Amino acid sequence: MFLQFLFISSAVLTVSCALGVLMVKNIMHSCVFLLGSLMGIAGLYATLGADFVAITQIMVYVGGVVILMLFAVMLTGGNDFVSRAQNLLGLPASMGNKWTYAIGLLVGVVFLLTNIQLIRGLTKALPVKTITNEFPSTVTQIGHLLVKDHVLAFEMSSVLLLGALVGAAIIARPRKQN
Amino acid sequence: MNQTVVSYLSQYEFYDFLLALFRNNQGVLAFTLYLLLALIIVGMCATIGGLGTYAERKISADLQARIGPNRVGPYGLLQMLADGVKMMTKEDIMPFTADKKLFYLAPLLCLTGVFATLAVLPFSSGFIMADLNVGIFYLVAISSLVGLGVFLGGYASNSKWSMLGGMRGASQIISYEIPVTISILAIVLLAGGMGFGTIVGRQGGLPHEWFMFHNPFAFIAFFVYSVGALAETNRAPFDLPEAESELVSGYHTEYTGMRFGFFALAEYIEVFVVCGVAASLFLGGYNVPGIKLDILPMQAAQFVIFMTKTLVLYYVVIWIRWTLPRLRVDQLMSVCWKYLTPIAIFNLMGCAIWMVVFNGKSIAELVLGSH
Amino acid sequence: MMSLASYLIISLILFVVGIVVMIARKNIVAILLGIELILNAAALNFVAYSRYVTNNLDGHIFSLFIIVIAAAEAAVGLAIVIRFFQIKETIHIDEATQLRN
Repeated sequence: MFLQFLFISSAVLTVSCALGVLMVKNIMHSCVFLLGSLMGIAGLYATLGADFVAITQIMVYVGGVVILMLFAVMLTGGNDFVSRAQNLLGLPASMGNKWTYAIGLLVGVVFLLTNIQLIRGLTKALPVKTITNEFPSTVTQIGHLLVKDHVLAFEMSSVLLLGALVGAAIIARPRKQN
Repeated sequence: MNQTVVSYLSQYEFYDFLLALFRNNQGVLAFTLYLLLALIIVGMCATIGGLGTYAERKISADLQARIGPNRVGPYGLLQMLADGVKMMTKEDIMPFTADKKLFYLAPLLCLTGVFATLAVLPFSSGFIMADLNVGIFYLVAISSLVGLGVFLGGYASNSKWSMLGGMRGASQIISYEIPVTISILAIVLLAGGMGFGTIVGRQGGLPHEWFMFHNPFAFIAFFVYSVGALAETNRAPFDLPEAESELVSGYHTEYTGMRFGFFALAEYIEVFVVCGVAASLFLGGYNVPGIKLDILPMQAAQFVIFMTKTLVLYYVVIWIRWTLPRLRVDQLMSVCWKYLTPIAIFNLMGCAIWMVVFNGKSIAELVLGSH
Repeated sequence: MMSLASYLIISLILFVVGIVVMIARKNIVAILLGIELILNAAALNFVAYSRYVTNNLDGHIFSLFIIVIAAAEAAVGLAIVIRFFQIKETIHIDEATQLRN
């Protein structure tokens, strides 16, 4: 019952905020909608019993990525971005006429139907596993997996993070104008 | 499996009575209990936050040889009610050029981030809303919503003081999260788990059983955590985001009435939460010295022990605020990146080596065991 | 209600929205937002399959690595955006036409 409630509210939050990212003109509001969407995904992880992944999601995205995005928006002139092509409804004429829109809509519908068929087929073909509402702790198991099976990827990701840190610092550093 | 306050209560007889009262509907009873306890905790912490403003003024007055608030109620204790009424009756001003939606959202984000951390704060071994397996990690993660609230508050006000305060606040909070998290990680290493129940359960009531005195590295980690936590809660000497002498009032310059009250309340409750975390990670938490019993009156004793430790730390935080001068922005960043972060990483490695070399024994165990 | 299909449909919606954000918006930061949505859609799929199909936690590990890579990508991407803004004084994606200077 509670899981259902959590699932439905997280799903609604995720999807509606993702649509919000797409629809609003203001890039600042887009970032805040992205935050809502990512929190919703963290809720979905929680309904899947992935507590560690859910908290990591909140930690990395709320504490890091979204604030970084907001910083970047502020450092690049805030919301003064001038363009007519900011949302779907206000596209400039050069991007298409009514025929291209109609064809695009048709393609979208076909794509959606195909995907739904695909997902339906997949779920039928998969072995049905009995799902219990028991969520054992994943922290210890993830810890063991990270230092046993996936230790190479773990080390490589640490090197990647170091490279990203140094690279970002070097790229963003202001240079003297000659 | 995750322990919760309801599963704790269900081992007592009156739970069956309550269950009969709710016609054996487990879900409804659990929901009601959670709601009730959440209201109690939020009410209690809001009162502590309100009393925090009073304590701050009284202690600052004491340090400066003044009297402080003494008009409303005995010793001025009801000053916070007067302040609350004043805030609620003030006009709610919205700047004309403000970003209205984000202006509304920012104080709520701050308050949500702080109140959500109360769910895992261990007041006693039973009175912890949810003893998650990822408890401390959850607390660190969800409290970063406060930084976002500060940043959005600064942006949405559309005023230069707020903007500078918000930018400073966000950069400060993300920077100081790193040493704080790494020094917490050292303690997680010692305890062998992230849940508050595990961490506090591995400690004892007496000081030599605390993680703070487990080994020299943990001792240093406590101070790294304290400094970082002060900076994360925007308390002096790190209150750059709201530096009165340069930025008027920082990110909440344009906020009036209850919205300003939300920011202030969030700050004071966050200080309480941070002190509670320090008490449970480093200072033995709710463990009563010498006694190990599992009866209901013990919970009250544990609660008193926890609150005593937390409020002593709270006093120290206020004391520091009225003693030390404020840092400059560049000093703030160099303290974090050049001193605290390397020390915290050194501590983490030191703790790991200690655990391997001495097989997880603390100093006290080594010394007492050799005799 | 809670089945593999519902998670996959949510993931699908997120992915499509991310693609549309990347195509329709001209602000570089907004394009990075779209990339975040796409990466999250993939990570959600991994965790959902890990619960409903396989019995191990490899899906969780994969989504953790996706989160790590998304963070690194955001940091470097935003550094490039800021540098680009210093040179061109705009963050319109159509202005990014030169490989040098």
